[in-house]
Parts: sequence; C-alpha cells; structure tokens
Amino acid sequence: MIAKLRAKFPTTTPWITWLGALGLLLAIGLTCGILIFWRGLAITNLTDLVPWGLWITIDLSSIALSAGAFSLCAAVYLAGLKRYEPVARTATFIGLIGYSMAMLSLMLDIGRPDRFWHALVYWNTHSLLWEVTMCVCLYLIVLVLEAMPILAKLEWLRKRFPKITAKMEHVHHYAPYLAIAGLCLSMLHQSSLGAVYGVLKARPFWYKPEMAALFMFSALVGGISLTIFASMLSARLTPKARVNDTLLERVAHFVGWMLVPYLYFRAWDWLAMTYTYQPGRSEGLDVMTKGPLSFNFWIVEILFGAIVPMILLLKQGTRQNRFWRMAALAMVVGGVIAYRWDINLGGFLVVVSYLPGEATVAYTSYFPSLVEIGAGLGVIAFGLMAFSLGVRYLKVVDHRYVAQEHETVKSEAPETVLA
Amino acid sequence: MSDANFSRRDFIKLTAVGAAAVAGTRLVKEARASSSSPAGEHQWAMVIDQSKCTGCNYCTLACQAHNDTAPENQWNVVSEAGEVGGHKTYIARPCMQCAKAPCVEVCMVGASYYRDDGIVMMDYDKCIGCRYCEAACPYQARVFNWEKFEGKNPAVPEWGSPEVERRPRGVPEKCSFCYHRIDRGLELGLIPGVDADATPACVGACPTGARMFGDLNDKNSLVSLVLKEHASYRLRDDLATGPRVYYLPADPKEMDTEVKS
Amino acid sequence: MFTRFKRLSIALIFALAAAGGTLMVASAQDATPPAPTPQGSEQDCAACHADYQMSWQSGLHGQAGDDPVFLKAWEDQGKPGACLICHDTGYDPATGISEAKGVTCLACHSPAPDNHPANNMPVDKSTDLCGKCHSDSRFASDNWMMSAHYQRAMTCSVCHNPHSAGMKTVEGFATTEDASSLCQNCHKDAMDNFPSSKHAEAGVTCVNCHLGFNVGSADANVDFADAHKAPDHSFIPTLETCNKCHSTQMHAPGQSVAAAAIKIEEAGGTSTPEPTPVQVSTLPVTNEPTPVSPVGYAGLAGLVGLAAGMVLAPWLERFYHRVSKQHQHEEEHHE
Repeated sequence: MIAKLRAKFPTTTPWITWLGALGLLLAIGLTCGILIFWRGLAITNLTDLVPWGLWITIDLSSIALSAGAFSLCAAVYLAGLKRYEPVARTATFIGLIGYSMAMLSLMLDIGRPDRFWHALVYWNTHSLLWEVTMCVCLYLIVLVLEAMPILAKLEWLRKRFPKITAKMEHVHHYAPYLAIAGLCLSMLHQSSLGAVYGVLKARPFWYKPEMAALFMFSALVGGISLTIFASMLSARLTPKARVNDTLLERVAHFVGWMLVPYLYFRAWDWLAMTYTYQPGRSEGLDVMTKGPLSFNFWIVEILFGAIVPMILLLKQGTRQNRFWRMAALAMVVGGVIAYRWDINLGGFLVVVSYLPGEATVAYTSYFPSLVEIGAGLGVIAFGLMAFSLGVRYLKVVDHRYVAQEHETVKSEAPETVLA
Repeated sequence: MSDANFSRRDFIKLTAVGAAAVAGTRLVKEARASSSSPAGEHQWAMVIDQSKCTGCNYCTLACQAHNDTAPENQWNVVSEAGEVGGHKTYIARPCMQCAKAPCVEVCMVGASYYRDDGIVMMDYDKCIGCRYCEAACPYQARVFNWEKFEGKNPAVPEWGSPEVERRPRGVPEKCSFCYHRIDRGLELGLIPGVDADATPACVGACPTGARMFGDLNDKNSLVSLVLKEHASYRLRDDLATGPRVYYLPADPKEMDTEVKS
Repeated sequence: MFTRFKRLSIALIFALAAAGGTLMVASAQDATPPAPTPQGSEQDCAACHADYQMSWQSGLHGQAGDDPVFLKAWEDQGKPGACLICHDTGYDPATGISEAKGVTCLACHSPAPDNHPANNMPVDKSTDLCGKCHSDSRFASDNWMMSAHYQRAMTCSVCHNPHSAGMKTVEGFATTEDASSLCQNCHKDAMDNFPSSKHAEAGVTCVNCHLGFNVGSADANVDFADAHKAPDHSFIPTLETCNKCHSTQMHAPGQSVAAAAIKIEEAGGTSTPEPTPVQVSTLPVTNEPTPVSPVGYAGLAGLVGLAAGMVLAPWLERFYHRVSKQHQHEEEHHE
C-alpha cells in the first residue's frame, strides 16, 4: 500500500502534507465522534453546572464567522457594490463550510443525535433556540443555493452532468433574492444566538437585551475578517488563488471602521456591568475580567481582538502592508472566538444559590476533556479541508475568474500575491 | 358600490383573508396560553415546613426509589440552610413546577410542557438533549443523563419500588410531583395529599410530616389551610417564576425538642 | 426466460414479504402483563415484587417460621398454637390451620383487593399493625407509646425496614452501620456537641443510653437468641441508665467521677463503630473561582518581552556593536 501511495504521490508537496495533516486530524475527530455516539456525553467534562462547553463555542464561532456571507452578499447584490462580488463569492463558500461545521458540532453536542430532526417537526415557537434552528436550517438552504454556482465549477461535475451544472450556474441569476432571504434569516439568527443567552433570567450575567446586538456585531466583524484573511492566506500559499489586493484592502478598511463602534459597545457593556452589585452578574464579570478568563478577555478579546486590529486597519501604512493586514484580521477572528468562549463560561462558571437569604455565589470549573478537544479539532479540520479543496478545485478565491464572468465587475487580479 | 366589480376572484380573496384572520386569532390565543401554565380543575402545590425538616433525606431516598433515578441524579436535593435559634435548618428542593417555567419557554422541541393541573411535564421521547432547560432553570432542578443508569438502584426496595421507566441516555430529567401516583390515585378515587398512594413519594416518606401536598383549588385541603394560617415563602420569588412549592420558615420555638412528659 | 439476477430478486422479494408479515404478526402480540391472580401464597407476590421478596427472605420476618431456635423452643413447649398467631400468617385458632408458614406478605398487606395490580394492596404503616404481633409487653410497646417519636405521629417504619425486619440503612447516602448512625441522620443537632464529650470518647453511642443497650449490666446487649425481648423504645434515659455504668460513683465526690470513668471496652463490651456522618447535598462548587492560570501570565510576560525587545532593539544593537568593537580592539592590542 505504501508503494501504491508513493507511486501516486511521488513527491510530498506542501499540499500533500497539508492534506495529510488535516486528514490525521479528521481521523482523530472521527474516532472521538464515534466514541461520543457510542459511550455518550459522560466521557466529556460537561456537567450539570456547565452543560455547554467547547463544542457550543465551536458551534457559535462557526456561525459567527460565517457572517461574511450574508453581509457581503447583501453589499454586492442589494447595495449594488458589484465590485466586491469576488469577495462575496469566497464568503459564501466559507459560509457554507461554517454552517456545516456548526451542524457537525451540534450533532456531537446534543444528548440524542438520533433525534436531531425533532427540531424541524416539533415546534415551540417561544423558544429562541427553536428560532435559531429554523433560521439556520432555512439559511443553510439559501447558502447551498448561493453556493451552487461555485460548486458548478467542479470539472468532474461539468463533464459528467453538463445540464445539471448549467442549471446550477443559472441559480446565480437569483442571487439578489437569495441575498434578501439570507440577510433576513441571518440577522434573525445571528442576533438570536445572543438572545439565547440573553433571555435566561436565572443567569444575571447574561440577562440583558444587548446580548443579541453584541453577538450580531461581533459576527459581522468576525465574518468579514475571516473571509478577507482566508482569501489573503490562500493567495499567499498557492498560485491557484488570485486576489485583487485593492479590493481586500478596501474591505479591511471597512472592518477597521466597524471595530470602532464594536469596541465602543463592548466597553459600554462592560462598564454597565460594573455598576452596583448584582449576585451572579458581578461575579461573572469578575471571573471574566479578573479571574480564570481574564487573560482570554483582556489580551485575546479586547487588546488583540479589537484595539490592536482597529489601529492596524485604520492606519494606512499597516493596512496596506499585507502582513500586518493579515495579522490584524486573524486577531479579529481570534477575538470573536474568544468572546464566545468567555461569554459562555462566564455565565456557567458562576453558580448562584437558590437558597433564601443573602444570595451566595459559588464557582465551578470546566476544561474540555481530550475527547471534546479531539472531536472539536476534527470539526475544524473538516472546515479547513473543505476550504482548501474549494480553493484548489472550485476557484473559490479567484478574483480574476469573477472578472471574466461578469463584465460589470472590473477587477484586476495579478497572477499571485507574493510577499 | 356596484356588484359588477366584485368578481369571483375578489370573493375568494376576501374569504381567504377572513379565514386567515380567524386562524391568526386562534394562533395568538394559543401562543399566549402556552407562555404560562393554564388553570385546570386541580392546582397541585407542596408545602415544606422547615421547622420540622431534620435533613434526614428520607424524601430523597423515597424519590430515588419510586422514580428509579441514579444516586448521582437526585431529583430532590436537601441542603443546609443555616441556623435558626441554635437549630440547624434544611431546605428540601424538588422541582418547583413553576407557573411561568423558564424551562418550558426555552425548550426548542416543546418536550417540557405544562399540564393543566400545574405540573411541568417532561416528554422524554421528544427531548433531543440540548440542555437549554438545564441552563435556564434557576433552581438547578434538572439533572442530565450523561449516561444511562444501569444496574441496581441502591434505594430499592428499602425505600420503595420503581413506578416509572428509567430514562434513556441523553435526556434531562426532573421531579414530576409523582404525577403517575396522582393520576392513578384520582382514577381509584383517592385524594392526593390525603391518601398516601395518590401523593408524591417524598411526602409520604417524611417521618416528621414536614412535607404536605394538596390542591390549592380546594379551600379545605391541607395546603390551602396551612398557607392561610402560616407565613410562607417561595424560592427566588424575585424571578417571578411562580413556583408551586411553598416553605414555612423555621420557627425556633417549634424546633425545641424538649418533650414535656 | 428469467435471468439469474431476476430470479434472485423475485425470491428475495417473496422472502422479505414473508419475513415482514411474520414480524408484524409477532409484534402484534399483546404485551400487557399477565392477568391478576387471586389471593395466594407469597410465591405469587414475588412474581412482580422480587426485590421485596429477596430482602424479606434473609431477614427476621422471612425466617420467622423456619428459624431453628424458634422451632426448637416451639416444639419443646409442645407446639402451642399461641405462638403461631404471630409466627404464621392467618393462623386460625379454631381450626389450627394457617394460611401460610411464617410472616408472609399477607400478614401485613391484608386484605388483598380484587384486580391487583389495578387496585393497590393495602399499606398500613401504623404502630397498630406492627403492634398486632409486637404489642406484647415483652416488646415494650407501651414504652414506645411514651416516646416523643410516637407522640409526633411517627411509626415503626421510620427506623425499621418492615420487609427485612432490620434497621433502615439510608443507603444511597451513607450506609448506617448500626442504629446509632440512623439516629444521627435525623438528630443532626444532637451531634453538634456530643462527639467531643467524655461519653463519646469512652465509646458511648446513642443506643447505649437511649435504647438501653448498656454494657456491663445484666441485660447487656440484647441477645438476639431471646428475640422477644426488645430494648426500651421510649428513648428516655433514666437514673437506671446512668447507674448501669456509674453506679459506684453515685453520691461520690466530684473529682472521683472523672477518675472512675469506665471505658466501654474495659467493662467487657464492644463500643459501637464510628458513625458515618450522613451528608446533605452539596454541589461540586468552590467558594473561590479557579485561580488564574499561570499560562496566561507566561503569555503576557512573553508579549511584554517581545514588545520591549522590539522597542529596545536599536539601542541594544548599538550597545552590542560597541562592546564587540571594544572586544576586537582589545584583541588586536593583545596581538
């Protein structure tokens, strides 16, 4: 077997190594997933006090970082900013991957994966999680339709089913309608994901209306950043990806400006939480700003998640420097993921007693188990692999291709973007 | 208005709109109705007298036996609640069966639902195990079956024998006010709260009679009378969940155990 | 005419249809429990209540008819019917026939209703029911009526497991090894000060004083061979109780009390084992959050170091050049 592999892949190119590493992580993830389905959630470190942990963070982050899809498609097809269409194309594909990652991690996380379809059949219209599930399912359909023209790029598909491929490409004609649907559905569920936490009056750390707005905002910022970052990284790594740097710089500038109100809202939210003592909320804030989550919060979320990228992306010098731009965007993405992690644990790590009298607050702890980490890495590896394959075979990051297709899109994408 | 302009199409449109409006009002009524517990013939409530509770955990064990729960998944939890007049006091916490239960509101498949006698029921067949209800409960009344409870239940048969099926892996569970005993007792013509066979197991197991159960709709039931005569409180009343478990605060005079013989 | 493949598929279709039909018919069987049986021996009860039967079998109630000590004493006394009133179920003195040997289910769960399990068996936890056999003055049930437990409407089954005819064990929390730890389960207040007392140090536990299980006395540690003698269930210690151990110190001057304190073991008895404290529920929480991880500090230090290095780099480089030039200079001088 080794001989056969060696014949097929005579030299180990970086591409093969990359695929191999991802394949290994996928295998680990698959093994952990099978273990979870077989042995149940008892092998995780989730407890009755911390019922949501790493996988929910991955799920929330995947959905948040897929927000580039709806926002860029809305910008292109509804606001008429046609020149950003190549970027919107990349974002749509990332969106599709992100939502599938979210579905995967949810399958792992729910206690009865065999009953995942119940959410579509049994409705409780009061539940925010129901609303999120419905919107996510519908939006996934929208994303699949939006991604059809991208998937139609697959050479094998074009040869085998030319008629179907032609139909798939024709879906692009309906892009504006899909963009409207995507915008509405996305705004609904991106904010509802924040509200899932925000309506729990049992948890004062979360019980506030701005959770919805903050989740929406951070998703916007993070989603667009991930799209640009992924485009730039692929362009650096492979000649198959071609980008128009001016376009990306413009979008990065926009991200920089978005980070200003984002920082403002985060600061306001944080300061508002410090006013008067409320059991549960004040301790949660302390856990997040002074306790076990403090480094994650101050360094990853605020300093490197918002302040530094804001400065880097607003200053022309650093924005035009590709390295600093990529660094800033990666920091934003990391900040969004850290935000989801901190919010989730900040609420669960603090246990408010229900006993009468003076409210006593106690603390619990959580660190994901190996199985959780393994399965999480598997999900992430799936996403990376899907994106890598898309770049290589579907021209997902190809600004020149889009320019060829649409005369209206004037885009000059040089061969590759080298450092 | 001339009828000539009112075509067949217009008639159909009008009828459709009218029907939709009627259907819409029905939906609104249903939507509002399920945001809090509907009022039925009975309204079960429990009263726990902290003066009498010694923290012996007989209620916990009876519940564990009758509902076949795993020892680490107690539905009824007894905690220390400080000292009053030199006597230790305890709080036993079953599910509060809230009138405005956060768990019912957040359940995405409606596996948690209200019964019209006030009990918050769990449909273990619908539940997908997302644990949103667990996160939402202010009383930590729900425990999740991280694994299936296999093997012998240590509380059986000393404290009772199981009366309901064991829950499968991957669903949360909680105290159900022994609705199965209540329903069966009503069928047999017994009175829940008076006849032990129709009353939750924890109430019957209490050696000091600290737990009382009954129908709030019945003015003469034990719980109605007790609540009329005594000061009572509910847990986390500030959250306005409308719990149906009332507590009589510990009275040090009552707790003095000098036997006057 | 038919190819092999077609023949195989037709055969498969028939086979599947037959199997499916059989499955449907088989699963349509009535899965309801068997029809209720009329009153009978305990064998019928055990068909559904095997748990209770197992705990009953090994206990004193289960052995009441077969116990060799009882049988010998009974035969020695000429097999009097009076014994069978309690030692058999449903003994009819007129005919001399019992419904069943020993203390069986129907001894307490009578009368059984028709259509059990549709109707419940009677469960009477009152003292009167136990008292039917255990009310004899040999069992000191009049003492029980004096106790605060009885006066607060408690029953025998608060402490005793009627099926195993033993003590309740509070299993699932801390299994009580003996009666004293069961007392502690309810009387938690009493355990505030008692463990540090001289009595506790000497190995005295609840039952020694409150149930008349005294050491060093004539009726020390109830001999279970004489099962008709039950300890004093009034739980009220009297002067008699103190005197069981301290009779020699009565009226003695103060100092000698401590000096003459008796250790239970020395007096020839065994002290009851350390009672295990029974837990009330606690959540797995701490009062302080988990400490801030050193990894965070290390990361921050690294970042600060990186930043400092970047800022100081030009000066450090100048310094390095100066030093190395000096060094070179010195070397040249040496040569």
